[in-house]
Amino acid sequence: MDLLELWAIFGPGVAGAVFGAGWWIWLDAVVCSLVTVPFLHYLPGIFASFAALMFNCVRKEDIDYSPYDEGEWRLKLWLFIAYVVSFVSLAGSAGLLIQDSLDKSAPSVWTGVAGVLQCVFVLISGLVYWTSHPE
Amino acid sequence: MFSASILLQILACAIYNNWWPMLSALMYVLVPMPCLFFGGGSTQFLMTRDGGGWIDAAKFLTGASAVGSLAIPIILKHAHMIETGAMLIELVSFFIFICTVLCFHQASLDDDW
Repeated sequence: MDLLELWAIFGPGVAGAVFGAGWWIWLDAVVCSLVTVPFLHYLPGIFASFAALMFNCVRKEDIDYSPYDEGEWRLKLWLFIAYVVSFVSLAGSAGLLIQDSLDKSAPSVWTGVAGVLQCVFVLISGLVYWTSHPE
Repeated sequence: MFSASILLQILACAIYNNWWPMLSALMYVLVPMPCLFFGGGSTQFLMTRDGGGWIDAAKFLTGASAVGSLAIPIILKHAHMIETGAMLIELVSFFIFICTVLCFHQASLDDDW
């Protein structure tokens, strides 16, 4: 049994574990925060989860890599939108981290760091789930 | 072994007279649910790559639930709601729970032959 076989077997479980870890890190930041975390800070994690769901809705067999035909442009557009959403969520969480570190009355820096970690872990879980499906 | 796991749960609460760690027991209920719902009551699907989308979703949920069991004691400790000793007892309890699941899985595989 080679490594790809093991990855196909255990990949979805690892993806779930990483996803859960991301959201639990964020919950830890919210619970331990001395200041009430506004709803704006929840959005990067929600959008990252949504992006991970988006690009795992696509079946890999349907993607056409031919350079000649028009191909499935709707599929590629969907993947591109998923990429944009994930990029915006990461950029948003990084921006909120910088803002929190500058403003004294905002939540602590750990909240910002946890937000960035949450986005990273959620997107990594999406990639793990994607790569664990062989074509 | 399962009784030992639950006993450690109760001990972690009773020794410190603090019942917040019982939240971790909720996750113990969640962990086997994907097996029951999607896997036909068997843990065999965890070790195979067949089955398609629903089986992969069940694996995903199993992983997420397992991480929750680890995360709850750590978050409670970070929020200073439980002592360090209680957190360690909780983690040992979860480890014993995992050993129980693996033994059950191995016994189920032996039954198939």
